[in-house]
Amino acid sequence: MTATSFIPIGMGLIVIGAGLGIGKFAAAAAESIARQPEAADKITGAVNLPLFLLEGVAILAEVFTFLMLIL
Amino acid sequence: MIAAASQSSKSVKDQVGDFIIGHVSNTTPGHHIWNKADYPILQSIYNYSGIDLSISKHVFMLWLVALIVGIAVIIPVRAFLNRGDQVPKGWMNALEAIVQFIRDSIVKPNVGDKWVMTWSPIILTFFFFILFANGIGMVPIFDLLGATNRFLLEPNLGEAYAHDNFINHLLHGGATATGNFNVTGALATITFFSIMAAGIMAHGFVQHWKNLVPHGLPWPVYIILIPIEIMGLFVKPFALTMRLAANMTGGHIALLALLSLMAIFGDMFHSTVAGVGVSFISVPMAAAISALEIIVVLVQAYVFTLLTAVFIGMAIHVHH
Repeated sequence: MTATSFIPIGMGLIVIGAGLGIGKFAAAAAESIARQPEAADKITGAVNLPLFLLEGVAILAEVFTFLMLIL
Repeated sequence: MIAAASQSSKSVKDQVGDFIIGHVSNTTPGHHIWNKADYPILQSIYNYSGIDLSISKHVFMLWLVALIVGIAVIIPVRAFLNRGDQVPKGWMNALEAIVQFIRDSIVKPNVGDKWVMTWSPIILTFFFFILFANGIGMVPIFDLLGATNRFLLEPNLGEAYAHDNFINHLLHGGATATGNFNVTGALATITFFSIMAAGIMAHGFVQHWKNLVPHGLPWPVYIILIPIEIMGLFVKPFALTMRLAANMTGGHIALLALLSLMAIFGDMFHSTVAGVGVSFISVPMAAAISALEIIVVLVQAYVFTLLTAVFIGMAIHVHH
């Protein structure tokens, strides 16, 4: 077992982390829209930005692990 | 692919990897669409300055996107403005809906009423350019052209023929220009300078740089805070670069990996039946991923514009 053979595990961990984060966002947004349907636009707007920032961090991590894998 | 694999010494898995990387990355020297060796001007520029101005497939796609944006957006808008009509019709109607959406629900809430007309044009430019560049990556027109030429029109010329015909060079085209980190890096550099320009226009040169850190804190905090803020300045465009390029590349890799399962399975079990059997799973999966990619194309164009607007807004409305 070399060090590089663990890198795909890291990629999996990133996906788990990002999935949990996005899942929490979606759950909270769905709940709050169900409670207050008239605020749906504001809630979507507020959820969007941190969602994309989270996605950006996950993508960065994936890119770096991929680079470690091929370099 | 299977037939080709049996001829060469490399295993199918290695060939598939090379094929996927070759598809998503830029063309290598000698395989560009216009090679410097074929054009004396490009060659002499290379000889004197060492800059290779060969037109690689991503550069070609950038030109194509610029052309399409010009035809689909700039010319209709100019024609509409020259006509002086008040009511847009047809295509112009759709354009106006998009422009209004971007101005009113992306730029205005973030940048504020005072600066919305200053920063809407550049953000709209980003949106249309990225949208068209992403979208063209999903259209396999050049793969089709190249394949038609190679397998239907002149199938008997073999490998020696592979690179001496313009249509065949286009076989390398049909790529997503925004899947190249250099392209998105250039876009993010424009964002980087826009952020600084926005801050300087709103607060003046000195005040803009003072605004980077909140004032009135005890001095040891600044030792940590100033380097962090300076790093943050560069991390913002860097994250934009990575997000767009990695998203556009990742989808294509997933698509091709699913499709190449056919070749891998066919090789693994040494039978064509296995490859054809897997195709019944992998082709619908690839179609589903393509559908997902269409959403990603729209979302990434939206995200890039939204984040640019947010960062510009952060430089204008400094909150401490």
